[in-house]
Amino acid sequence: MTLWTAVRFLHVISAALWVGGQLTVSLVLLPIAKRSLPVSTRAQVLQGVGRRFGMFTGAFFLPVQIGTGIALAVHKGVTWESLAHPGYGRILAAKLLLFCAVMIAATLHGWANRHHRTSFARSMAIASLVGSVGIVLLATALPAT
Amino acid sequence: MSSPVLDVKTRPEPPSSAPSPRTAWHARANAIVLGWLALTLVAMAARGVLDLPRWLLVHLFLLGAVTNAIVTWTEHFATALLRLPPAGPRWVAARPVALNAGIAGVLGGSPAGLPWLATGGAAVVVGVVAAHVGLLAVRSRRALGGRFAHVLGWYVCSGGALVVGGTLGGVMASGLAPESWHERIEAAHVHANVLGWVGLAVLGTLFTLWPTVLRTRMVEDVGAVARWALRLAVPGLAVAVGGLLVGAGPAAAAGLALFTGAVVFSLVPFVRTARQRRPHNPAAWMLAAGTCWFVVVLAADLFIVATRPPDEVAAGFETLLPLILAGFVAQILVGSLTFLLPVVLGGGPAGLKRSAALLERGWIIRLALVNAAVPFTLLPWASRAAWAAVAAAYAGFVALAAVAVSRKLRPSPPVLGIGVGAVLTALAVVFAVSGPTGPAVRTVEGGGVQTVQVTLSGMRISPGTIEAPRGTRLVLKVTNRDAQPHDLRLATGEQTPLLSAGESATLTLPPLTGPVEGWCTVAGHRAAGMTMQIKVTGDPAATHSDHSQHSGMNVMDGSALDLAADPSPSWKPYDAALRPAPGGTEHKVELHATEEKPEVAPGVEQEMWTFGGGVPGPVLRGKVGDVFTVTFVNDGAMGHGIDFHAGSLAPDVPMRTIQPGERLTYRFKAEHAGAWLYHCSTMPMLQHIANGMYGAVIIDPPDLPAVDREYLLVQGELYLGTVDGRAAGMREGKADAWMFNGMAAGYDHAPLPAKAGERVRIWVVAAGPGSGTAFHIVGAQFDTVYKEGAYLLERGGPGGAQALDLSAAQGGFAETVFPEPGRYPFVDHDMRHGEAGAHGLFEVTR
Repeated sequence: MTLWTAVRFLHVISAALWVGGQLTVSLVLLPIAKRSLPVSTRAQVLQGVGRRFGMFTGAFFLPVQIGTGIALAVHKGVTWESLAHPGYGRILAAKLLLFCAVMIAATLHGWANRHHRTSFARSMAIASLVGSVGIVLLATALPAT
Repeated sequence: MSSPVLDVKTRPEPPSSAPSPRTAWHARANAIVLGWLALTLVAMAARGVLDLPRWLLVHLFLLGAVTNAIVTWTEHFATALLRLPPAGPRWVAARPVALNAGIAGVLGGSPAGLPWLATGGAAVVVGVVAAHVGLLAVRSRRALGGRFAHVLGWYVCSGGALVVGGTLGGVMASGLAPESWHERIEAAHVHANVLGWVGLAVLGTLFTLWPTVLRTRMVEDVGAVARWALRLAVPGLAVAVGGLLVGAGPAAAAGLALFTGAVVFSLVPFVRTARQRRPHNPAAWMLAAGTCWFVVVLAADLFIVATRPPDEVAAGFETLLPLILAGFVAQILVGSLTFLLPVVLGGGPAGLKRSAALLERGWIIRLALVNAAVPFTLLPWASRAAWAAVAAAYAGFVALAAVAVSRKLRPSPPVLGIGVGAVLTALAVVFAVSGPTGPAVRTVEGGGVQTVQVTLSGMRISPGTIEAPRGTRLVLKVTNRDAQPHDLRLATGEQTPLLSAGESATLTLPPLTGPVEGWCTVAGHRAAGMTMQIKVTGDPAATHSDHSQHSGMNVMDGSALDLAADPSPSWKPYDAALRPAPGGTEHKVELHATEEKPEVAPGVEQEMWTFGGGVPGPVLRGKVGDVFTVTFVNDGAMGHGIDFHAGSLAPDVPMRTIQPGERLTYRFKAEHAGAWLYHCSTMPMLQHIANGMYGAVIIDPPDLPAVDREYLLVQGELYLGTVDGRAAGMREGKADAWMFNGMAAGYDHAPLPAKAGERVRIWVVAAGPGSGTAFHIVGAQFDTVYKEGAYLLERGGPGGAQALDLSAAQGGFAETVFPEPGRYPFVDHDMRHGEAGAHGLFEVTR
């Protein structure tokens, strides 16, 4: 147990909460809300859920993940150059690129929601979710450090 | 008269926002085709970065895009032309899923080294296509037939060809086929699939599609021509494929000639139709150009099959791949889609016009680009640019078609989201696992004997390219690191046995005279990318060639050494174990000066001058006060002398040079203890010593304690080349390598044994002639150091030593106790020497 254990813990727990939160909202909350809430309150509730989750994402999950991620990379001696190397470097690079793509999808989701393009917003939310699971897959493929 | 293809599909549809089920089906089916096309183009662009094998690109296109297209469009045409009852909805839904799962299995299984997955995928593809054409045949029995009934025969035979070709592909992927068969299986596989599955489907479709595209009536007797052409083409192809498979070259050529004749015959209506109405739209021009390339390919292939032995047909066919892929198949596919997509995507006359205008954008440029670039893909210097042009042209079409199809696709938000997320993840995963596992290019400096480690794994040979100077004698140490068996065969004939997981074999090549290709002969592996090449670089040995001609000896350049190479099997290491001094105080020795050709570095033999036949000469050992009587005989070809540092006397007589055949007696008393050098005393001594004329005399210090093991290492410089050629390097002090006991890095290959906890004494003598040593054992410390007659460090004290430093012509010993089992390198810690051969190993066991 070192300081780096704590950093890694923060990195993993925020990623787990972020991906798990998205999954919970999509797979648990949305179907039940659709089934049991009247149309009038449904939109309001779901928007509230979305806003609150977005707030957590922006205020906690993202800063923690990016901050601890950079710290871990620096600690491990990752350089820009090494990201191109087959093996650890490329897996990490792929994970970062996928993370960027997921962020873009999440941003598009928020934008589409604000402009009432609901079906596109839903597509982007699901794309972001699938991509997040992909990030976890790539994270598990990173050789143990 | 217009064709029923148009009649059926341009039936006015209600102009509603929701596409009809039929349109949606076409949009989905063609989206799959476009998806595979896009993947092919992405793979082409990323080929360099991701190190993708050509096999994968070819199969992404032919198995992914083209097979889907053929299944989709044969279903469409057969149903429309023969007015078949619709296929069952479950089958229609399940077919693309199963087909593409099978395709993914083949594409993923082979490169990943999972033969069961690839073979299973091939089985699924074969099964789906067999079921597809089988169901077409069954449904057609209930149909009325009519003027277009002939098309069904072409489609069924096309599917039959894929069943044969795909099965052969699966057999190759399984790795179970006999090794000697694989070239023939591959030849049969490509002929059945390209000429049969693709060729027959294309020709069968063109009978009706061509006049439709040209918007003219069909010429007379098309039905009869189609039936007769098929009756000739199918047996022709069957004989060709069978002949290739069993290695009957003439039969294969005859069968292919018959097939080619049938194709030409089947194109008679094609030409007559074109004369009736010349091509005047994009689709017609693309179909015409694609068909022309098909004929060119057939003619070239006929030449290959007729002139090459069956074992070399597959390799020859591979050279035609650019024409087949970019010229023939892709052009027919894009031409057909350009015409058909607007028709099937519906939207009424206005929608058709809109889609057609979209798909035809820039068609002249694309058509010109493809057909101008295709021939250049065959030229090595232009192929990269040509492929880029071809890819750009087709990428343009894929982008336009994707827009046209997506207008009709309208997937549900979850499906679109899952699709986007899955594609992003898949791209990231592909990038993550990409990249060569080893150095792609191994450049070998210098000439001489060079050993290169070659690894077989993951459907790759690593390094993929070896660059070596002309004349280099390469030794390839081939290891299979894969779970499945592989081997390596070179175009020059050398071949390893089939290597199971973890096994190794060595290939010794003759001196390199030109580029050599290598590949794994397991069926399908060469096509999957298990190839390598050896390229010839500059010619550094040329400057020495004059010497080698008049002296008749090996040409060796210093930089040519590969110290990691295995010594030749006949090499015997100089026994470094030092025996105790024999009893008695008088020692009589006879030493003969001779010229020998020992191995002085791994794989390098060259003329050396020796005392007693070896480098170093025999070791003499005694106690202080012992008398040595040495009879020195010159059996060499020039004058030699001898000089024992262990004795002190007037040099005039005993150290004089004696001529060949003469002898002298050298008598000395060992007054002092030490590790002494002896060497030839004839001028130029630099050359006589550097050429190997030295040895050691060990005079034990009084009360020298017993140890568990004693070794003697005499370090000397090594100059490579002819005897005359070496002299300059000696004068300049530019040794090519350093040797312990006459062999550079010799004890790397014959480690000196010791046991953990044993006390080992290592005597070292620096023979030079120019350089001394900083003798060091990696991982061990010396607790006793004796140098030049005095203890620098004695056992039991608190101090330790790391190196025994000796100038040229000094000697001494160091003692150590190895703490634990392991491999302890010993080196001259002057790393210029240590990394150039003054290196060996202690193998310390429990």
